[in-house]
Parts: sequence; structure tokens; C-alpha cells
Amino acid sequence: MYWNKSYECMPREKLQELQLERLKRMVNRIYHDVPFYRNKFQEKGLLPEDVKSLEDLQNLPFTTKVDLRDNYPYGLFTVPLEQIVRIHASSGTTGKPTVVGYTRNDISMWSELMARCLVAAGAGPHSVIQNAYGYGLFTGGLGVHYGAERLGASIIPISGGNTAKQIMIMQDFGSTVLTCTPSYAIYLAEVLAESGIDPASLKIRAGIFGAEPWSENIRKDIEKKLKIKAYDIYGLSEIMGPGVAIECECQDGLHVWEDHFIPEIIDPVTLKVLPYGEQGELVITTITKEGIPILRYRTRDITTIKAEPCACGRTHLRISRLQGRTDDMLIIRGVNVFPTQIESVLLEIGEVEPHYQLVVRRDGSLDTLEIKVELSEALFSDRISNLENLEKRIRDRIQSTIGVNAKVALVEPKSLPRSEGKSQRVVDLRKI
Amino acid sequence: MIRQVSIFIENHEGRLNNVLKILADNKINIRSLNIADATDFGIVRLILQETEKGIEVLKENDIITTVTPVLAAEISDDPGGLSTLVDALTQAKINIVYAYSFLPKKTDNAIIIIRVDDDVQQKAIDTLEKVVEINLLDRETLLLK
Repeated sequence: MYWNKSYECMPREKLQELQLERLKRMVNRIYHDVPFYRNKFQEKGLLPEDVKSLEDLQNLPFTTKVDLRDNYPYGLFTVPLEQIVRIHASSGTTGKPTVVGYTRNDISMWSELMARCLVAAGAGPHSVIQNAYGYGLFTGGLGVHYGAERLGASIIPISGGNTAKQIMIMQDFGSTVLTCTPSYAIYLAEVLAESGIDPASLKIRAGIFGAEPWSENIRKDIEKKLKIKAYDIYGLSEIMGPGVAIECECQDGLHVWEDHFIPEIIDPVTLKVLPYGEQGELVITTITKEGIPILRYRTRDITTIKAEPCACGRTHLRISRLQGRTDDMLIIRGVNVFPTQIESVLLEIGEVEPHYQLVVRRDGSLDTLEIKVELSEALFSDRISNLENLEKRIRDRIQSTIGVNAKVALVEPKSLPRSEGKSQRVVDLRKI
Repeated sequence: MIRQVSIFIENHEGRLNNVLKILADNKINIRSLNIADATDFGIVRLILQETEKGIEVLKENDIITTVTPVLAAEISDDPGGLSTLVDALTQAKINIVYAYSFLPKKTDNAIIIIRVDDDVQQKAIDTLEKVVEINLLDRETLLLK
């Protein structure tokens, strides 16, 4: 089943022609409308006319999350705000979020691609989609929502959390598709089991899970416990949101919608493009987006591109399951967390040493974040309540700025490992 | 006023012993010890025979320490002895942050260490000494007890 067969199954030659035409148009626009890109081109001595083939893309400059931050909030938008109909944001590497804007056409394109994803995962107009992705600045909730409406399915915008209500709605509303993070799906399955509800008694048949890394083992676990087919979806707000890539019924890699995005794999050290099949960092160029087109965005996600034809009939390249990150970003219950954000909060509080360590655990099925912070002499109080208040102040500040619930533990000075790199700041004990 | 040494330790095995060992290695006698614990950490409160030297060696070993002024009250070791003291502070609306016993070697009386909020310390001293005539000990007297 396809949503848009002529595009999803377009012969590759024709697809590449379309890509080149769209890439040229995109490069022209960003060169003329965004000083940031024009400067980058000029530094490299490039002109938009230098893009004559798809191979020329690899000579063009990269865009990073830092570039988005430096141009916060609207510096990379190519259209005036009056043409922007929606603004989303995701975690930045420091206090300020990464901001993206969508024109009416962008929302329409996103809805189209999300509809393709839903159909690839077996949904259709008769589906009842229980959307347990968070609604808000995070793209997950609204991204799925608009795709489901485009498809003509019945969407239940329940958003994340409130598990008892999720289960009641699943039972009473007859949801057939569940969309949420994979860890929440496992949690739901466990609560169902504890409540003595047989998943076979529910109408749920498929789940579309993303926004955090998961493994084949977790897929098997979810499929067995919920008695559904579980599909992996990929997306990021800088590029669009959920729906950049999706697994089809073959469940062997995620098709990237190449009529709108050009994926590349680079060596994160040499920054050279790697041949298909080799593992490296995923780089994506948006070729149709109007609000904030992005040239060669370094996703920091590690994967490979599979170029072999897929049995489903779709001609678009596939990426394999994400293998990790090239930076130290953590994903905790679907929220992106950078250690540098935590550091900013500690520095703002100003009374603790910025010596900290993040410990991520998976307790049952939910991820927990513990922040160990070294106490300083200036902060030490003889009263337990003062120290507990300090822990609470840090916790509240992290909750309000980063949106993640963390446990804060004060530790003795010089008890945390000192390192040159950032890596020892993070101890990830999750087995994914 | 007595100078009590307060120490921050993590709440897991070996941490208390680490502190005690530093003091023992430097031959500093602990006259009184009290531990308050929260989930992840604890505060060890000590009255040392040699306060300044104790702080110095602890700091050398990266142990967070602070000096907290506390009162040492000598009361008769009879039923009601402590109650008289607490009652007097309550009447004066003075909150006791914490209190613990000091074990004297040379008297049959009991000695209670009391911490009150900084801003009511003088009021607490006046209340105990003048209103209920409780004997508050200075450092030298306490360490001789």
C-alpha cells in the first residue's frame, strides 16, 4: 500500500532529475535570501551555478546545530514571518532552543510525508490513531497529527503521559494504531499486563515508534507484548520533524523521502562523503522546504545508507536503524538533553561547582537521569534542609529549562572523574 | 559557644570511615559525634579535642567542612532535666535545629549540645542562663568534662 505511488515508486533516474532541479532552486534561494549561507558560499569561492549535478552537493558547506543557535531565533528563515504559519523548537546545546519555522506549504509537505509514513506502516483512512507523542514545541505530536488528518484517519490527540487514560481510551475508542516513543510503548505494555488486560482484546494492530534510539530486541519485545507490528520512524525538527524516514512492511531500514530530502553519509572526522553501505554520520539537505531550508545538516546520528532495491516497491533509499550519535546528546524519554545544557543551569545557579556527571539508567522501561554535582565549601550548610533545598532548586531549574525530570545528588568534591573530553560526563547504563 | 565541626559526606559505605581515619591518623580525638542523613548524603557533626588542627587536616584531604556554633548545656541526669531546657526555649519561641548528647567522662551530669538559628543564639543563651539557670559550658570547660 502506498499513499502517493507515483512519487514513492518513482524510477530512480527520474527521482534524481527531480532532486537536482529542486536542489538547484533551493541553493539559489538560500544564497540570495540568507546572508549566513551567502557568506559560507563566498568563503569557499562557490556560486549557486556551481551546482550542476547531484555530486556537486558534496562541495557545499555543512550546517550544524551551532549555526542554528548563532542565528537564533529567526536568522536562517528565508521568508518574512508573515509567511510563517507555525514555529517549533527543540533542545539547543545550551540554554536557547533551536527554532524552526514552517510556511503553509511546509506544513502541507510535512502532512503529505507523514501520511506516506502512516500508510507505509499499514494505516489507512479507517485507522484510529492514538497519538501519544507530546503536543507542543516538540514536533512529534503535531507532526503525526497533521499526517493523520491528511490521510483521513481518525486521530486521537491524547499527547504523552497519563497511562491510565491511555489504556482506557485504547479500550473504549478502539484505537488501531499507537504512536509514541518505544520506551513508552514498553511501559504501556507492562501496565496492561499488570492490569490483567490481554492486548489481543484490544484493536491495536500497529505502532509507529521514534524520537529515541531502539534496537531490534526492543522491537521484538514490543511486538510480542502488545501483539502488534512495530515500525521505526525517523525525523528531527531541524529538517522537518517526524516523517523524514519510515520503515515499510519489510521492516528492514527506513525509506528517506528523497523527493524532499537528500541524505548523505560522511566520515565525521574527515567530513568526506562515504559510499553507500558504509557507516558514518547522516547529513540531510532539505530541497523543498520554504521556511527554513537547511543545506547539508549534520544530524550527528550514525547510520548507513542501503541502496539496494526494497521488496516493498518504494525506490527511495533506506537508512539503517540509528547506531548512536557523534556528539554527547542523550535522549531521555524522548527529550533531547545535552550535557552542556545541564552545565549552563549549574552555572546559572552559581553556587555549585560545574563538576557534574550524568547517569542515565533504564529502570524497568523508563529512562531516569541522575545528575551528580560536586558540592562546594561555600555552599555547604550544616542543615540537611538547606542542602535538600539546593538539590530541589537545581532539579526545578532543569525541569523548567530542559523539560526533563532529573534526580539531583550532591557529591563530595573531587569525587567525580576529571577528564579532558566530555565523554566521562555521561554514564549511560541503558542497554538499548 | 562551642565550635562544632560539620562535615559533608556521601551516604555510602566507607565515607564516614574515611573522615574518621584522617582524624585518627593525625591523632585528633573526637569528643562527640552525631550523624544526620538524607537520601544521598549525610552531615557528620563533631566536637574535636583540637578543632583548628582537625579542620586543617580535613581540608587538606578535600573534605568539605564548616564550623557551626552550638551551645553545650550541662543538666542534671534526672527525669525532667532535658524537659526543663526544651520548655524554656519553647516558651521563648526559639526553634531547636538539632540536639544531641555529649558523653562526659568526669561528671554524673548530662551534657546536651544544642544548635539554634544563628539570629536567636544570644536570646537562647540568655533564656537558658538567666531564666532557668542552666549552666552553659565554654569550650575549655566542656573539653575537661
